[in-house]
Order: sequence, then structure tokens, then C-alpha cells
Amino acid sequence: MEEQIDLVGKAFTDHYYHLFDNDRPALSSLYRPSSMLTFEGQKILGVEDITAKLTSLPFDQCQHVISTTDSQPSTFAGGIVVFVSGSLQLPGEEHHLRFSQMFHLVPIVEGNFFVQNDIFRLNYG
Amino acid sequence: MDPDAVAKAFVDHYYSTFDANRAGLGNLYQEGSMLTFEGQKIQGSQSIVAKLTSLPFQQCKHNITTVDCQPSGAGGVLVFVSGTLQLAGEQHALKFSQMFHLMPTPQGSFYVLNDIFRLNYA
Repeated sequence: MEEQIDLVGKAFTDHYYHLFDNDRPALSSLYRPSSMLTFEGQKILGVEDITAKLTSLPFDQCQHVISTTDSQPSTFAGGIVVFVSGSLQLPGEEHHLRFSQMFHLVPIVEGNFFVQNDIFRLNYG
Repeated sequence: MDPDAVAKAFVDHYYSTFDANRAGLGNLYQEGSMLTFEGQKIQGSQSIVAKLTSLPFQQCKHNITTVDCQPSGAGGVLVFVSGTLQLAGEQHALKFSQMFHLMPTPQGSFYVLNDIFRLNYA
């Protein structure tokens, strides 16, 4: 059961950051009207506003490099919490930005999940 | 229930207890609680307290930089913390991030269901 949770957490984060780095508008498929994002302290509610925020970030390209992924089962309803740390490379920027992010994933049918909670923070040196 | 108030009260209590008397953290966890500490997975209040009280330092001080929280559904609260950890005798503070998933108890308080801790290396 533990290993299964790790596999699910890793598969989700691989997919999430791949979309973020290659097709940011497609992130809308991972959120719902009830989803919440706190991005550097700014609170955003619902898939539309969250997608608008993420697609309006002031860079066209980026690459996430993930250092650690930790997952745990979260509630009796099959949810999963995932805690990620890594770095974010923006083109033209010499130094990577380090970040931490947590997701609370809630299952939909057939092993798919959506992001109910998302909190992102840069880690300043 | 105001998630911000719950988060603030919890964070204040958790880190002041950690810094003053780590064994006192036991009543914040239950049998089903899970801690992942720098990648090591630990389950249940007893094992978690054993881990935290056996960390290789006597004294420490947490300084909290950011606290973010959101309701998780079913009355739960997710709390995401970043800050620094100063160990006695060490010149440089360690940077860390930690997330908690708090669940309500029948008595009207909260316990930690999920706890994940990571140091943030430069």
C-alpha cells in the first residue's frame, strides 16, 4: 500500500510538471471548481481562476527539476497528500529558483485524481 | 471553523512544544498518524514521538517564515510552513519546509494525520 501511494504520487507530479513546462493551459484538466491554489501567499479558488493565474505567470518557458517527492494517504476517502521540492529554471536566468509545493489529490473514477488543494512557495536562499 | 486561526494556533503550539519539550508532541498524533521525516516513513504516535525525541540534538529553535493553509474537506486543514531551524552550537541555521494535514477530534481540537518534513538544501 505504501509503495502504491509513492507510485501514484510520483506519476501525478511527473504529469503535472510535464504539463506545466510544456502546455500550461492543459493544467486546467487537473483542477475543479472546488480546487484551491495558494501561490506565494495569493489565494485563488476554482479551475478557471487557477488556470488564468498559472498561464499568466510572467514567463513563457520554464523547466521544473524535481529533487524530492513524498506522498502519504490522506483521508478515508482515498485522498493523497504529495510534498515536492525542486528547482525552477527560467530561460535567460542564470540561477535556478528553488521551490516547495504540496498537493492534496482527491480520486475520481478509475485511478485518476484531481487537485483539491495546491500550495506553492519559492524557497529563498 | 476558521482555517487561518486553526493553522496559526497549531503552528505556534507545535513549534514551541518541539523547541521546549519534544516528548510533549505525543498528544498531537494518533495511531493512524503518518510522519515522513527526510524521506523516512513513520506511523503512529508512539513511533513518531520516538523518532522526534531521538533526533541528534538537545536544543533547537524553529523560526517560522511563512504559513499557508487551506481547508481540505471533511473538516480538515492543510498547513504548509517554511522557516529555519537553529541548532545550539551550529553557526548556520538550517532551512526547512513542512506540511501538516490536521483533522478534527470529537473534543473540538485537531490532531496531525499527515506530517511531511524536508530540509531545504541550497
